[in-house]
Amino acid sequence: MSWSRAGFSALILFFFFVVQESAISKIDFPISGFSLYLCVLLGLMALEDRFGAIAMGFIGGLILDLSPSSDSPFGKWALILTLVGYLFSRNRESIGDFTERPIAFVLFVSAGATATLLIFLILGVILGENNGAVITNLQTVVGNGIWTLLFSSALLPGLAALRNYTLTSRERL
Amino acid sequence: MAAGGNNRSRLLLVILLVTSLFLITLDLRGVSITKNSRSATQSLLAPVQRGVSDFFSPVGNFFSDIKNFGKTKAELKDLKSENAKLRKKVIFNKDTNGQLNKLKGVLDLAGRGGYKVVSARVIGKGSSSTFSQTITIDAGTNDGVKKDMTVMGELGLVGVVKSATSTSAIVLLMNDPTFRIGVRIARSQSVGVLMGEGDNTYTLQLLDPSGSIEVNDVLLSLGSDNNRPFVPGLPVGYVKSVKNTSATLTQEASVKSYSNLGSLGVVSVIIRVPNGGPKDALIPQPIPTPTTTIYVTQSPTPEATN
Repeated sequence: MSWSRAGFSALILFFFFVVQESAISKIDFPISGFSLYLCVLLGLMALEDRFGAIAMGFIGGLILDLSPSSDSPFGKWALILTLVGYLFSRNRESIGDFTERPIAFVLFVSAGATATLLIFLILGVILGENNGAVITNLQTVVGNGIWTLLFSSALLPGLAALRNYTLTSRERL
Repeated sequence: MAAGGNNRSRLLLVILLVTSLFLITLDLRGVSITKNSRSATQSLLAPVQRGVSDFFSPVGNFFSDIKNFGKTKAELKDLKSENAKLRKKVIFNKDTNGQLNKLKGVLDLAGRGGYKVVSARVIGKGSSSTFSQTITIDAGTNDGVKKDMTVMGELGLVGVVKSATSTSAIVLLMNDPTFRIGVRIARSQSVGVLMGEGDNTYTLQLLDPSGSIEVNDVLLSLGSDNNRPFVPGLPVGYVKSVKNTSATLTQEASVKSYSNLGSLGVVSVIIRVPNGGPKDALIPQPIPTPTTTIYVTQSPTPEATN
């Protein structure tokens, strides 16, 4: 992953972060809220190689740490998403190219979103944060997983095109 | 080559994990750079949120309507006829009209309590992935809003200002799991602590083991030193059910809030409180239940007339 691509990816992620914070979070989704930002980030991470997924996870996590509504310590999302990036890249190698397997992509991203939120909650407990009622939290995790499952399939072509656009000619080879 | 790539990835993983842990440590130690970065983001997001707010309000309401469809199915018939009547009457923008009504409700309540308030529009909601219940309002330090000020809605307490920038502020809603407020029961004057649970239910814990709680008891805010973060005498909610368990030392009750936190359009931040507070002036008046009286008059039977 080149520096220019890292910068461009950060800009794209920041755009989706602004969309998430100013628009998507205002929608009162049934079951629970949907995080478009996590969906896009995990989708981009799924298309990257190991190095790229880890770097993208860290950049995406840092941007998510900027969320003004967050009560968590700064760096918590960066830690979690770096780990998730590593786990993603480890597992995606056995699946192959996601652009040819949209169902696998959708399932992978949804499972990743669910796992990410679960890790966030578990780490919160370890850090002594008050996360509230377990049932409400599980509802949020499951609800987000379901919405990610529904929306990620629509996002795949766009994300693949976006990634191809950011690749350098050397990376394309 | 592959082994080289793996080593490079592992090295990057270790560096980034250590960096993240370093950032967490800095934040937990209270280094201001992390807090400032969130304030800067809030300042950046506030104008966008304000701009998007008008456009997205109907979309958010649409999903909310779908979500509550099952619950309100029984009321649908009544609402349809009511809607037909309302359609004829409504000539103004529905959204603006609704916000005006909410504002009127908020100002009515604030006026009765003698509070000096700053009213603000809700322009954003906290992301669900943060697991915290917050809203963003379009009033900030320029309007006199400061951290730890009480925020009220048309029916009572909504939350407390968590942070404020010059033009916007983040409000921690009362249903956030970290939210705690001292309350007194208006009927018995018993004192307790109300806790948010992340959803629409709240738990009241009485501090006095011999105090009494009854269903429909009204809870008012107890107030804090210098009225921050909480002003006294503000309606908080009412007791829905009392948990009678011998296992706990203190009495507990399940509470429902007066404010509907899911549909906040306009709120007010309390800037100043009258000397001595409003006492019990804001206790919601119970709505009288209509009673039907049937008068029976005995009519003369044909046998009796004969």
